Amino acid sequence: MLLQLKNISKWVQSGGQKVFLLKDINFWVNEGDFISIMGPSGSGKSTLLNIIGMLDNANEGSYTFLDESVLSLKEKHRANLYKQYIGFVFQAYHLIDELTVKENLEMPLLYKKYGASERKALVADMLDRFNIVGKKDLFPSQLSGGQQQLVGVARALIASPKLILADEPTGNLNSKQGEEIMDIFTQLNKEGVTIIQVTHSEKNMNYGSRVINLLDGEIV
Amino acid sequence: MFKNHLKIAWRSLKKQPFFTFLNTFGLAVGMAGGLLISLFIYDELSFDNMFTDADRIYRIDVENKNGGEINRYASVAPLLGPTLHRDYSQIEMVTRFRNSNSKLIRRNDVQQNVKEDHVIGVDTTFFDMFGLELLVGDTQTALKDANTLILTKTAAEKHFGLNDALGQHLLVDNEEVYTVTGVIEDMPKNSFLRNHTVFISMASFDDAESIRWSNWNFPTFIKLIPNANIESLQTPLSTIYETYMIPWIQTFNPGYTIEDFRERRKTTGNYMKWSTIALPDIHLYSNDIEDELSPNSDIQNVYILSFIGIFLILLACVNFMNLSTAHSLKRAKEVGIRKTLGSDRLGLIRQFLTEAGLVSFVSLLLAIVIGVVFLPFFNELSGKAISIPFGSPFFWLVLIFATILLGLFSGSYPAFFLSRFMPVKVLKGGGESSVGGGKIRNSLVVFQFAISVFLIISTLVVFQQLEFIQNKDLGFQKDQVLILEDTDAAGNQLMAFKQEVKQLGQVKQASLSSFLPTPSARSTITFFAEGDSLSNGKIFGKWKVDHDYVSTLDMEIIAGRDFDRQFTTDSTAIILNESAVAMFDIEPNQAIGMRITNDFAPRDKGNMTFFTVIGVIKNFHFESLRNNINAMSLSLGSNSNRMVVKLNAGDFSKTISSIEDIWNAIAPGQPFNYYFMDDSFNETYKAEQRLGRIFITFTILSILIACLGLFGLAAFNAEKRTKEIGVRKVLGASINQITYKLTIDFLKLVGVAILISMPLGWYAMNRWLEDFSYRIEIGWQVFALAAFLAIIISIVTVSYQSIKAAVVNPIKSLRTE
Repeated sequence: MLLQLKNISKWVQSGGQKVFLLKDINFWVNEGDFISIMGPSGSGKSTLLNIIGMLDNANEGSYTFLDESVLSLKEKHRANLYKQYIGFVFQAYHLIDELTVKENLEMPLLYKKYGASERKALVADMLDRFNIVGKKDLFPSQLSGGQQQLVGVARALIASPKLILADEPTGNLNSKQGEEIMDIFTQLNKEGVTIIQVTHSEKNMNYGSRVINLLDGEIV
Repeated sequence: MFKNHLKIAWRSLKKQPFFTFLNTFGLAVGMAGGLLISLFIYDELSFDNMFTDADRIYRIDVENKNGGEINRYASVAPLLGPTLHRDYSQIEMVTRFRNSNSKLIRRNDVQQNVKEDHVIGVDTTFFDMFGLELLVGDTQTALKDANTLILTKTAAEKHFGLNDALGQHLLVDNEEVYTVTGVIEDMPKNSFLRNHTVFISMASFDDAESIRWSNWNFPTFIKLIPNANIESLQTPLSTIYETYMIPWIQTFNPGYTIEDFRERRKTTGNYMKWSTIALPDIHLYSNDIEDELSPNSDIQNVYILSFIGIFLILLACVNFMNLSTAHSLKRAKEVGIRKTLGSDRLGLIRQFLTEAGLVSFVSLLLAIVIGVVFLPFFNELSGKAISIPFGSPFFWLVLIFATILLGLFSGSYPAFFLSRFMPVKVLKGGGESSVGGGKIRNSLVVFQFAISVFLIISTLVVFQQLEFIQNKDLGFQKDQVLILEDTDAAGNQLMAFKQEVKQLGQVKQASLSSFLPTPSARSTITFFAEGDSLSNGKIFGKWKVDHDYVSTLDMEIIAGRDFDRQFTTDSTAIILNESAVAMFDIEPNQAIGMRITNDFAPRDKGNMTFFTVIGVIKNFHFESLRNNINAMSLSLGSNSNRMVVKLNAGDFSKTISSIEDIWNAIAPGQPFNYYFMDDSFNETYKAEQRLGRIFITFTILSILIACLGLFGLAAFNAEKRTKEIGVRKVLGASINQITYKLTIDFLKLVGVAILISMPLGWYAMNRWLEDFSYRIEIGWQVFALAAFLAIIISIVTVSYQSIKAAVVNPIKSLRTE
């Protein structure tokens, strides 16, 4: 088992009342799963994903990731944990505008203190794999949305994470570009990478092996 | 990683040319100001440190209270130095100087005189005392004999070649022959001897061995033996009066005992106090003192400038912080991404500090360029000849270290602020609400404007005081008064010259005197009222003038009469000013007919010379308005090296050339030196005018920096509120309403800044004004004007951005989201 959420709740205080964003969430993820989180706007999909990605904390419950109790970890440990095992893909790509494709790909490796030659090799490998060698010196603004998301996925993958968290990865793409990305996810999943995606689209949902439906912060 | 930091810093700076420009330029202006001010302060603090053993050399000063007046002199009696040296073993060496006037100097075989303004007598120990070497000549013998002198290199080259000077003869003031016994390197620009060019042997002065303890004409320096403590001279100095002076007074006043003198001092409150000042302290800590060898500066100016320098740099740093954090909206996303990719906070802090460091180094380059360009202007402003020491490794080390420090400091808050962003929030695109930091930014704006308004207030007060000085009734007329220097070079033709000048149609009146209300000769003498004992002397000025003096300078006689050629007895007549009359505790009317003397002869011997008081003159200012008007007197005398000429209004240059023609006919080969009295008067207030100019310059700089910051913030604010503005416009808001809304927020901050700076400005400037005996009151108008200026400047700065944002078509601004 890769991770497990038990009785996770998150709320905000509003006018003296608790407004639940997530309420009593329980689920687990095995290595090699491809999970889709579905639900209408405001149902808590992104919040759940952020908690899984350790970018956000739950108010209640327990979260175990590779046998570590995440919620009780210190900030620094937690950062090390997700640095090592998790890759993120965003709807709005979130590439760094000031860096070229190549440099964007290199970024996570820098933070993980890879040596220069290793970085070079891994970046070249990724560029090759995603067929974007010709674009390596371009800046994000010079790419189409689909190409930017390709770079985003490549960046998430470059440090070989166990888990990829994708928040509506095709939300800003047209359907052809979206299909390409989803095909890549399927391929990755076959190679053993665990994927959790948040999505609106039924079509994308079908790429996954398991679906979690959220409504008003609760799994239905 | 560092390379990556640098790269992204460089690219993000390049991507925002406008903000980068505001940031770099603001910082560069602050740094350039700080650089120039630091060089100035360094120069001020370096004074007289170049002399060997400067830490063991002290000057002896004396403070004299007589009647209501306290006078301080940087010179003492000729006997004091040698006597202390004889009696106290901790003194290793003594060197006396002898103040002297400017001299006309020429070679025997040349007609044309050269005027040397700073001629001074020195003891033979001069070289040992200050560790000086002669370029040519022997320090052991150079100043031994009477009528010998040494010249600085520059002075020597005016008459001879450097190597030909030794043994040559020079004619001083057309009468005395001196032998050149040495040539010395020009005195350092930052030394108390910087202006002096001719050093005459002490043996040439008759009074050098005088036993008169009241003859205070000798600036005296002592050097202590190594490791001696200056405190050990406290007691010797405090007993000078009783140990040396009283025995001397008793020689011509045998009846008095020490007890009598003590009693006398106790009842009158009069005293003489000797003290020492360390050589390196003279330049900055010795002021309000007469007989200085060179004009000094004041530590207060160093403080004021340090504050201004620190303010400037702080302002620039604050700008940097403000612009960087305001701008962080754009950087927030990057922070979020980096965090999700695994960067910890420290890494981000490092990155932003790198960026700040990069900006400060680019600013440094710009600052050096600005510094080089404005150095001549700054030198004129400060009256210095500073150069930027590009060749000095120490300079670069300090500069680079300071730049790094500056980068770290100004980058610290933005780094802290930016690295705090939570990725969940910023990546969601929450926009402005997630950025925050507004309160701190606002306080920083308040801080900047508070400083600017404070400087505006200070500038206004300094200029008002200057205005006040310039227009104050001085008790004499300084306008249209021409002063001719060195007129004694005309010898016995002087009177003829004066007569011819007086006959010129453009000349109203002319008078001969070395003594002027503007800087010129001064002489203070002890006077006694008839019948007063020797221990009851009054020390005040004695100016030798001629019959036309009072009328030439339009002074006012308030009792008695002016000198009159009808009365031959006027050769022993004297006119006192109000302060002098007050010293005798009488009214001006009672003074007329009073007889006074400056004779030290025993009182029972008869045949003393008396002056009869024939008039009392209204007090006029002959020193800086910093001081009260001292007591002085006018009496008739000849041998004048200045002529005062009152001109009628008209073409002055024509009149001057007519006078020069007369001069050249009467005294061929003698230099014709002249200046206008009001120029000389203004010289007295050079320090204040300089301060005024410095204030106005740096006020403008600080306002400039503050405005850059405000401009940037306004731009940011408008950008941040684009959507809000669009919505408001769609809902019917007018351009005016929106402009007002965007501007008023900033004006509130400026308002708070004004409120903070007013009491500070009031307090600081009152402290400054305390130095003037004659000063203005700070009125509310100053504050009103300062506030008005600050508000207008900030409205102009902000409104450009506000209007720009307000006129945008809402369709456009709403689409940007």
